[in-house]
Amino acid sequence: MIKRYHILFVVVLLSNVAFGQFIGRDNLSKSLYYMQKQQLDSAKKYIDLSMVDDQLNESAKTWYYKGFIYKELYKDRDKSNKVSAYRMTSITSFEKVLKLDTANEFKESSLKILKYLSSTLYNDAVRSLNSEEYETAIKNYSHYRKIVLLTEPESDLNSQDIKFKLALASVLNQPVENGQILDSTITKKITSLYLEVLDLDPNNPGANYNLAILYYNEAAEIINNMDYDMDIEKLNEVQDYCIEIFLKGLPYMLKSYQLNYKREETLLGLSNIYYGLNDMEKSDMYKKELEEIKSIENK
Amino acid sequence: MKKTVLILISILVLSSGFKLENRVDTNSRIKAVFILNFTKLIEWPQPYRVGEFVVGVVGDTPLYPELTKMAKVKKVANQTLTIKQFKTIDDIEKCHILYVTQSKSNEISDVVKKIKTNSTLIVTEQQGLTKKGAGINFIVQDNRQKFELNKTNVEKYKLKVSSNLEALAITAQ
Repeated sequence: MIKRYHILFVVVLLSNVAFGQFIGRDNLSKSLYYMQKQQLDSAKKYIDLSMVDDQLNESAKTWYYKGFIYKELYKDRDKSNKVSAYRMTSITSFEKVLKLDTANEFKESSLKILKYLSSTLYNDAVRSLNSEEYETAIKNYSHYRKIVLLTEPESDLNSQDIKFKLALASVLNQPVENGQILDSTITKKITSLYLEVLDLDPNNPGANYNLAILYYNEAAEIINNMDYDMDIEKLNEVQDYCIEIFLKGLPYMLKSYQLNYKREETLLGLSNIYYGLNDMEKSDMYKKELEEIKSIENK
Repeated sequence: MKKTVLILISILVLSSGFKLENRVDTNSRIKAVFILNFTKLIEWPQPYRVGEFVVGVVGDTPLYPELTKMAKVKKVANQTLTIKQFKTIDDIEKCHILYVTQSKSNEISDVVKKIKTNSTLIVTEQQGLTKKGAGINFIVQDNRQKFELNKTNVEKYKLKVSSNLEALAITAQ
């Protein structure tokens, strides 16, 4: 892959300039000279300087060289950096090429390099899926998406988006699995991730179930943490708020039931939500269904 | 790319998923808060304002463990809050508040006879019981826990109802 890009680069270079004649004359030629020599710091210095020239700054070719040199810098010394500035500069340079290159001289090569860079962004996004780096994951995935849609406008990213959002939501919820309590910002973030998944796939069973659980738990936690001394006016306000949240969760748990997802957990969820809504008849109905399933299992 | 796809899949598969907060009896917690409010908004005669403040529960209900939990951390003015559970009507002892569970609702007239000489607030959870002697009855309205108040039934036992409680209640005849 690396070799192929170099060949491309040299072909582009030779087809556009009689290489040697520029050495020592202008910054762009100097930059290309040092690039050929793999002296990347010098190549960077002169390509950055050549960008100051208004004429060169409007040339697709200059931007192509800049993109290429920064891509090389990324590969050479910054590949393990998930937020590499070299990579981003390379990407923005190639984006500029695609805008300026009306003759499509650099298009094919630029698209290939952009695809390569987008794959590195995707990899870094996935590798950042942990509670410390999730914001990097979100940014890298977003850049990845943007480039894929630029290089392959017909791409359908729905399935990938769903997987990424579900994985991110699971990662953000990990503290709960370890018995910790989430702060409200993270809970809101997880909620919005599931809502985004359901916008793309309303029948996604995991998103429906988990969203319902999130809403239920939010209301249940509020009630569980109520001070016994709370006055009746305040208690009525808390009830109004919690009922609203239980009602928000209900359609998602009903959908999970309809999708036959995690049958026992869903039945327990429905029973609890209706209990929270003080609808004991429905709560008992789902509880009974759950007990019947359990008794069959135990036979 | 393949490696990262595997990472993504393993995150989704290995995640144990979202767990329901199953420790909370939402209904009982709300009722417990109401009951503590009743102790503040109703006045008992002087002899009842010393010693323990007893809330009796007749029949089985998830409210009993919730009230017991509350009694560990709350007092009624200077009185220690004590929760007692009675299996049958005959077991009922002197208490400030008597909570009659749904399973004992059809025995309300026996309850009334049993406590007639005491200053006891009868609290129930079944529609229509304020007509049969209950002072306060929990009802569900628009999914919310509310309470009906029959002031006459409360005052019959020498208890005084604050205007604040009256204003917050659904008036029952």
